[in-house]
Amino acid sequence: MSLAAGPGRGGGGAQGQLPEELQLVVEKHVAYIQSLDTRREELEYHLTEHLRISGIYWGLTALHLLGHPDALPREGVLDFVFICLHENGGFSPAPGHDPHMLYTLSAVQILAMVDGFGELEKKVPDGKTKVARYIASLQRANGTFAGDEWGETDTRFMYGALNALSLLGLLPQQQPDQPPMIDIPAAMAHVKACQNFDGGFGSEPGAESHSGQVFTCCGALSIAGEIDSYLGEAGKDRLGAWLSERQLPSGGLNGRPEKLVDVCYSWWVMSSMAMIDRLHWIDKGKLTAFILQCQDADEGGLADRPGDMVDVFHTVFGIAGLSLLGHPGLVEVDAA
Amino acid sequence: MASHGIPRVSGTSVDRSEQAKEKERRQIEQYNALETDVVERIKAKDYSGATLQATSNLLSQNPEYYTIWNHRRLVLQDAIVKELRSEQDSTKQAEVEDADITAAQKAGLTVPQQEIALLLKEDLRFLIPLLKQYPKCYWIWNHRSWLLATATKHLPAPSAVELWQGEMGLVTKMLALDSRNFHGWGYRRTAVAALEGLGGKSLVEPEFEYTTKMIRANLSNFSAWHNRGQLIPRLLAERQASSEDRSKLFDGEFELITTALYTDPYDQSLWFYHQYLMSTLDPGNKHSVSILEPCTNGNRLQYLEQEIDSIREMLDGAEDCKYIYQALLEYSRRYLEVDGGNKKVTTVDMKGWLEELRKIDPLREGRWKDLESKMKL
Repeated sequence: MSLAAGPGRGGGGAQGQLPEELQLVVEKHVAYIQSLDTRREELEYHLTEHLRISGIYWGLTALHLLGHPDALPREGVLDFVFICLHENGGFSPAPGHDPHMLYTLSAVQILAMVDGFGELEKKVPDGKTKVARYIASLQRANGTFAGDEWGETDTRFMYGALNALSLLGLLPQQQPDQPPMIDIPAAMAHVKACQNFDGGFGSEPGAESHSGQVFTCCGALSIAGEIDSYLGEAGKDRLGAWLSERQLPSGGLNGRPEKLVDVCYSWWVMSSMAMIDRLHWIDKGKLTAFILQCQDADEGGLADRPGDMVDVFHTVFGIAGLSLLGHPGLVEVDAA
Repeated sequence: MASHGIPRVSGTSVDRSEQAKEKERRQIEQYNALETDVVERIKAKDYSGATLQATSNLLSQNPEYYTIWNHRRLVLQDAIVKELRSEQDSTKQAEVEDADITAAQKAGLTVPQQEIALLLKEDLRFLIPLLKQYPKCYWIWNHRSWLLATATKHLPAPSAVELWQGEMGLVTKMLALDSRNFHGWGYRRTAVAALEGLGGKSLVEPEFEYTTKMIRANLSNFSAWHNRGQLIPRLLAERQASSEDRSKLFDGEFELITTALYTDPYDQSLWFYHQYLMSTLDPGNKHSVSILEPCTNGNRLQYLEQEIDSIREMLDGAEDCKYIYQALLEYSRRYLEVDGGNKKVTTVDMKGWLEELRKIDPLREGRWKDLESKMKL
């Protein structure tokens, strides 16, 4: 799976004309995703190897949402996932790279999507527990999670940990008669400490609110079952207000005040809105039109904004955004 | 975010000529060869200077290749361990040059400490052009943090302080280039905390002054306003501010932001800071801080009335500014919650503002509808 950008550009086909009726060009996107792993003659394919497994996750997710879950061969995908598994239970983005929380999450998400946990257990006895132990080992004293042994901490990794463990079925609440593998109260305390007066969340206490962090923190709270009790209606109003301000006249969403729109925020912002029951605070019609304008109708794929080069990352998050908006023909997505 | 490896180049056409393809093939070959070289060296535990240089070449081409940063740190760690061990080794001691000993003594360091400092400084220098080219690359900022943490661990406090002060200088430059770079602000917070820990002295006053400087240079400096708000509670605590001092500061901040808002009521950064100040009066907000102490309902009413009046005047010449109507509705709502009476704002007023808001800002119609029912308009 290449994370190389292009060759398509958002905003229409070769003529640069927008189609009169904006449509989701499903078949083109499927073909685009299928072609990504064949682009090994491009330098960028090699330069993005450090994201490979996430690229596969993004492509596979998009295919599932588009109703073409088998467009990438399951066996090939599983083979790749397993060669990325390390002795310590972590996954790397490609063989030869070091394991990391981000790529462990992608691997677990892929396994969940293709129903591959059985194969995991066959390959590695108690494989799921091994992976969970790697994840748990990255929790720090203040409740947050590091990405790897080199120590960077960020709420992205905390969300990754909770998401992965929930898919593995090994969260404390999923196995209440076992000793907890991670400290949920400490994790929740840390998430809450990352919230600002404006209702948004930052990457660490004191950091500015950012849509990506809002997603990871709301996701963490949701998975732990605490989002409603923690925010309450007033909190949801406050956060919802901040999130609704992300929509700009073009219909697209930005990540924080005074920044440019980017189609991937269709996911980070909208899923957060879904988690706090405020999806209707954004103009769905205009956002849908914006996302569709980010497509390349000839070559397939979506770009961050109309006119830019497409890539698989923006493809999946644009499509996921459309799914949340209830766009016809797409499989339903889970906000958290 | 994981989108780092993907360039945002628009408007370029892809050159598919045989020449271009051949060029790309060679680039791929060269890149893979470089990669193989580094990986084999690390596998063989070759932590030499040549390996360090090989990682430099590879990382300059692809700083997102985080595994190579991990390898680089293994090389550096090995060098550091060797330096520390050499102190115990008498044969190594004999090899040390007098010039090195003198230089070290001058700097208040042992020779191994001096070597470690030089090694780390060299790496910090290596990062500068990469950081300028990729200012939002997590892995580069991380490596920098690691270098400083390592320095703090192995070097005496004065040397660590010097390095952290250098980092403050770097961060100030980076934020001058892009004041919204959250990596920079996060790193600045880390540097400030480190300096405070090492020197025992609080930096809250100079940091507050820094936000003042940034705001004076550019009013619409969102991140600077954010940091200013973050610093105020500690500032007041350290000044051991009396009730009166706190009021003075609070009023001063309102004056500052109101003057700014009158020049540009369309600026989101300014409204953000205004919201921050008003949030300190809102007991319903878990994440608001206190500025006034004590903060009575009397205080709340006073400021809500003052601000509702002030914001109403901003409408003159800016009747299409949605932020003004949003503020009026929000503070009316809070005012009614505190007081319950209709002295300052009438239902007619609020209905009128909501109507205008719905006209100006149809994108958020769903939210305005909810607001209408919540406020029973």
